[in-house]
Amino acid sequence: MFKDLDPILHSQLRLAIMSLLISVKQAEFTFIKEKTNSTAGNLSVQVQKLKEAGYIEVRKEFKDNYPNTTCKITQKGIKAFEEYVKALQQYLQVKK
Amino acid sequence: MENSDNDFSPQQSLQLIESMINRAKDKFADDGLMYLIWGWLVFLCSLLQFVLMHVYQYPYHYIVWLATIPVFIFQFIYESKRHKKQIVSTYTDNIIGYVWITFAVVIILLGFLVGALTTGEYYTHIIHILLAVYGMPVFLTGVIVKFKPLIIGGIACWILCIASTFVKVYDYQFLFIPFAMLVAWIIPGYLLRAKYKLQKS
Repeated sequence: MFKDLDPILHSQLRLAIMSLLISVKQAEFTFIKEKTNSTAGNLSVQVQKLKEAGYIEVRKEFKDNYPNTTCKITQKGIKAFEEYVKALQQYLQVKK
Repeated sequence: MENSDNDFSPQQSLQLIESMINRAKDKFADDGLMYLIWGWLVFLCSLLQFVLMHVYQYPYHYIVWLATIPVFIFQFIYESKRHKKQIVSTYTDNIIGYVWITFAVVIILLGFLVGALTTGEYYTHIIHILLAVYGMPVFLTGVIVKFKPLIIGGIACWILCIASTFVKVYDYQFLFIPFAMLVAWIIPGYLLRAKYKLQKS
C-alpha cells in the first residue's frame, strides 16, 4: 500500500514554494512571487499555511523603510518534503 | 499558478518540483567584478614592485601594496550594498563566501608565520607560498560553480608554484605573481563577465 500524500504539500502553489525553498538557503517574498508566477494575496495565504504547519520559517523586517518578508524551510519542512517525494515515488512504482 | 487544487497527478507533482528546483538555480552568475579588480590590482602592484626593486633598487618597494587598502574599503561597501539588494541567498553563495574568508585568514596567518618562524631572508619564501595559496580559492570556487576557467586557473597557480622553485634569483621569482594573476583571476574574471552579460541579455 502507498502512503497518503501530505495534504499540506499536495497543492500546486504550496508545493512550488517548498520546492523553491528546499533549493536555497532563504528567499524573499518577491523572489518566490516572481518564480511561482503567483499573486501576492494568494502567496501570502499559502505561505501562512506552510508556516502554521511548521514547514517554513517566516521573518518580517524592514529593508530601506519597506516591510520585507523572508522565508526559510525548517527541518520539519525538509522531512515532510522528503516523505512527500517518497510517497510520490511509491505511487508511480505501483502504477508501473 | 493555480490555487490549492489538490487534483493533480503524482507525475504533475514531480514535474512541478523539478521545474521549481531548476528555476531556483537559474540565477545570474557572478559578474566577475571582484576578480577583475583584485586581479588587475595585484598584477600592477607586483609589476611595479618588481620595477622599483630590480630597476631602481628602491629599498621601500613594498610600499606599492598600500594601494590595497582603499580597494578593501571599496569591496566592503560594495559587498554590503549587494547583500542588501539580494532577494535570495543560496547555499552555494554561502560556501563560496567561506572559501574566500578562509583564503584571507590563511594568507594573513602565513604572512605572519613566515616572518615569525623563519630566519634570514624570510621574504624569499613568500612568492612560493603565495602561489600555492592563490590557487586554492579559485580552484574551489570553480569546482563549486562548475566553471572550468577558474578550475584551470587554480591548477595553473600550483604549476607556477612548482616552477617558481626552479628560479633562483629572487627578483625574477617575483614575476610569477602577475603571471598567476593573469591566468587565475584576470582571464577567468573576463570570461565570468562575458557569461554574466550573456545570461542577462
